[in-house]
Amino acid sequence: MAEHLIETRNLYRKFGSDETEVTALDHVSITIEQGEFTAIIGPSGSGKTTLLHLIGGLDEPDGGDVLLDGANIAEMSGNELSDFRRDHIGFIFQAYNLIPVLSAEENIEYIMLLQGRPAAERKARVRDMLHTVGLDGLGERRPAQLSGGQQQRVAVARAMASNPQIILADEPTANLDSHTGISLLETMRELNQSLNMTFVFSTHDEKIMERATRLIHLTDGHVEKDERK
Amino acid sequence: MLTLTIAFRNIFRQRRRSLLTGLSMCGGYILFVLSTSLLEGSYGNVIDIFTLDHVGHIQIHQDDYLDRPKIYKTIKDQAAVRAVLEAHEDVTGYAPRVYSPALAYAGDKTYPARVIGIDTALEPTVSRIRQKVTEGEFFSASPDADGYYTAMIGRGLAISLELSLGDEIVLISQGADGSIANDIYLVGGVIGNRTSFDRMAVYLPLPAAQQFLALGTDVHEYALLVDDRNDNRDIASVLAAALPDLTVSPWQEVESTFYRTMQSDKQGNHFMMGIVVFIVFIGVLNTVLMSVLERTREFGVLRAIGCRPGRLVQLVLLETLLLASFSIGIGILLVTPAVIWLTEVGFQIPEPIDMSGVMFQHMKGELNAYVYLMPMGFIFATAALISLPPGFRAARILPRDALGSH
Repeated sequence: MAEHLIETRNLYRKFGSDETEVTALDHVSITIEQGEFTAIIGPSGSGKTTLLHLIGGLDEPDGGDVLLDGANIAEMSGNELSDFRRDHIGFIFQAYNLIPVLSAEENIEYIMLLQGRPAAERKARVRDMLHTVGLDGLGERRPAQLSGGQQQRVAVARAMASNPQIILADEPTANLDSHTGISLLETMRELNQSLNMTFVFSTHDEKIMERATRLIHLTDGHVEKDERK
Repeated sequence: MLTLTIAFRNIFRQRRRSLLTGLSMCGGYILFVLSTSLLEGSYGNVIDIFTLDHVGHIQIHQDDYLDRPKIYKTIKDQAAVRAVLEAHEDVTGYAPRVYSPALAYAGDKTYPARVIGIDTALEPTVSRIRQKVTEGEFFSASPDADGYYTAMIGRGLAISLELSLGDEIVLISQGADGSIANDIYLVGGVIGNRTSFDRMAVYLPLPAAQQFLALGTDVHEYALLVDDRNDNRDIASVLAAALPDLTVSPWQEVESTFYRTMQSDKQGNHFMMGIVVFIVFIGVLNTVLMSVLERTREFGVLRAIGCRPGRLVQLVLLETLLLASFSIGIGILLVTPAVIWLTEVGFQIPEPIDMSGVMFQHMKGELNAYVYLMPMGFIFATAALISLPPGFRAARILPRDALGSH
């Protein structure tokens, strides 16, 4: 076990070139520990999503390093990084991003198939996950047959199905109504507490900020404030 | 299994587009099957003409008679040969033959000729010799009352020596015992036309030829036909094992030049057909590429959750191959009645073809596994090939870019 579950060192990322160049992250160094329920907050364009993508290995920094459980993801090959994401990181996206041709339970099962888990184990885990996110009986529905809140619950179940150490959630409640957002957040908080799963959110949502155990304020690519509750 | 499920459902996602793509593949397959059937059928016709004209499906000789023919390289123990041939259920006919070069005289003209001794009863069971008699009639094995044997001569020799039915022809050659062979025969029939392979041949009844060449009862060759000409090489192997002292050759070895030429021609035709189908598949490539571009975000999500790039290539490949499978399945259903019609009925050729005096005016197809499997293999290979660029395109999608492309 490494000293920190997530560590970024002087993380730098820019977009565009010459006159259109924008610095999204300017030498960001943070550490996040196992079991934290962290929200990265800040105005639009402050670099929240970029930081989340870099932590998840979905993007490559122009400078600095990302260490996940001690492993520097910049040193991983394409396949190693894919396997690392599959086994250690769960993603929840603002737009749900479920596979439209798969049912809810197949969406949840697919990541376990990638892990090579046996069919019986996968099926049992899918049932558990659907129950955990409160979607019993809706497993056979395709995403188009589910409401936004239900789709985001499937996305949460998918993110957790592989038993990852870290769940990265990019504006997970942005497309949900207030009631559904709160309900989903309560579910995630329970999972965080019961399973000691680490959640990192990028958000503007007050509801998430109220429930987060730590708030990292980003402004123009800098960490302006890092407060633990 | 889930990957297969995704591939399967993706096909039915854009039904109209999949239908049109499938129809392109299906059309390509049908075209290829029909062309292969006709090609195989026409080559089958040519092979039948060729083998039934004289060569047979298999030939048996002593030693290397086929490459270096000598009059004394004869098959002696014919009882053993006939026992083996009659015991094999796929051998439908056999005929012994003797050969020798000779000089043919008539009046004051002399021409080189080829003496072919044939068994008058058995030869018609392995060749079209009886149908090739264009003048006179098929000879008998016995001499006439004056002791003269009847000969049937090629059309070319008849013209060159100005011979008519009933005329005498004198043959001079060398006997197997070293003696000078010479004898007089009566022209009883004329064979084939001026382009026949035996236009300069003199056919003699087998006993007459054996007597002329001092061969006793020996022969140079056994030609045989088998039930299915496509099995001839397997049957030749079995016969070779049963006749270890003799050389058993399938027609492909006897006429290796013709066979190689035919194979090259077939490959050329398949190559041309392949190009046509490949052009059809360029349209399919466009469709598959479109389908990948439309699903950029989905592929980005799959990459994000840990799908290796290779698995995305597999997914695109699987989708294309599944569509190809459906198309081929439908293609088989649609094309089979046409192939059966071509095989059973066929169509008239506007200009009949004269092959060694036998007229062919009907074109037929062929129905066998190869006619279906070869185009199927080509369609699958092409489908796999054209799915690679879109597959690699999917594999190269960066999650960051894809997820930002909402």
